[in-house]
Amino acid sequence: MAQYILHKAESRGHDHLEWLDSRKTFSFGDYYNPKRMGFGALRVLNDDVLAAGKGFGAHPHDNMEIISIPLEGSLQHEDNVGNKEMVTAGQVQVMSTGSGLFHSEYNYSPSLPARFLQIWVYPEALNTDPQYTRMELPSALRKDQLYEFIRPGNDGSATTIRKDTWFSIGTFGKGPSIPYPIHQNGNGVYAFVINGSFEIDGRELHARDGLGVWEAEAITFRSLSDGAELLLMEVPMNI
Amino acid sequence: MIQILAVGYNAPIMEVVNRLIRNHGNWNGTIAQTKQEALARLSAGTYDVVLLCAGVTNEDEADFRQFMEAVLPDAKLVRHFGGGSGLLESEIRNAVDNKRTF
Repeated sequence: MAQYILHKAESRGHDHLEWLDSRKTFSFGDYYNPKRMGFGALRVLNDDVLAAGKGFGAHPHDNMEIISIPLEGSLQHEDNVGNKEMVTAGQVQVMSTGSGLFHSEYNYSPSLPARFLQIWVYPEALNTDPQYTRMELPSALRKDQLYEFIRPGNDGSATTIRKDTWFSIGTFGKGPSIPYPIHQNGNGVYAFVINGSFEIDGRELHARDGLGVWEAEAITFRSLSDGAELLLMEVPMNI
Repeated sequence: MIQILAVGYNAPIMEVVNRLIRNHGNWNGTIAQTKQEALARLSAGTYDVVLLCAGVTNEDEADFRQFMEAVLPDAKLVRHFGGGSGLLESEIRNAVDNKRTF
């Protein structure tokens, strides 16, 4: 029988600094909640706002798959493996940090805040070569349907972080129920409402709420508002 | 004070981990940057948490676990994922909360 855990937006950890406002679904930084240590292989889901021109200076990472999804504005990315580029709303950045890299991320705008989701997934193997990918999230392909942008295999249309992880995103008008079949036994799916409201398996979720579902073969979601945006992260429940 | 031995083979990252541990008011840290150095420190010191960082393989982890069962059975062996400060606090606190899970 399907299992559920609901994380309401207001239950998240919160840090407010001069340069960063961060809401954390799971334990991160100074926010520690032993009941919020992740959802299967999904370990971090931070909802960050960077002040104009501010950002994260050069700092290291290793052995973590880090997905950044700008929601508003642009991030200026630079790392020590040769990548220097902008990542803007409508794109996604994927870093497989493997054996280790240093990077910085700054809000490119001198006048407006930048909002982005920072997502960390445990890697399947340790100490692999670091990799960096930036890809588009075409708005036409995620309107009233899910656009799969992370999945196993490498056909060029999506990126891969580990062989058993699928990420999808879509923007929906108020409408009928849509099924999402879970791809692999042992996986769970974490649904995060970016904007608007959804009903997922009979549970009502609003902006920035999250719902984890496991021991299920599928979920069904329905947008309750126009322009509602949903991110689905299907990950192994055993790390 | 929580006594931590951080083991990792990526020197620039271990420099950051060392700084993070030393700057924490409740932690006292020691760094080992080779397997041999880590085993020597485990033989000589007492630690609450042994933190495995960048470069440590699964085989090394198994060796450390086996060694610790003999010399430091009350210490907790945990992986530090992510390299920086993001998960460090919750990994250490969770390890101390759930100490001794060999």
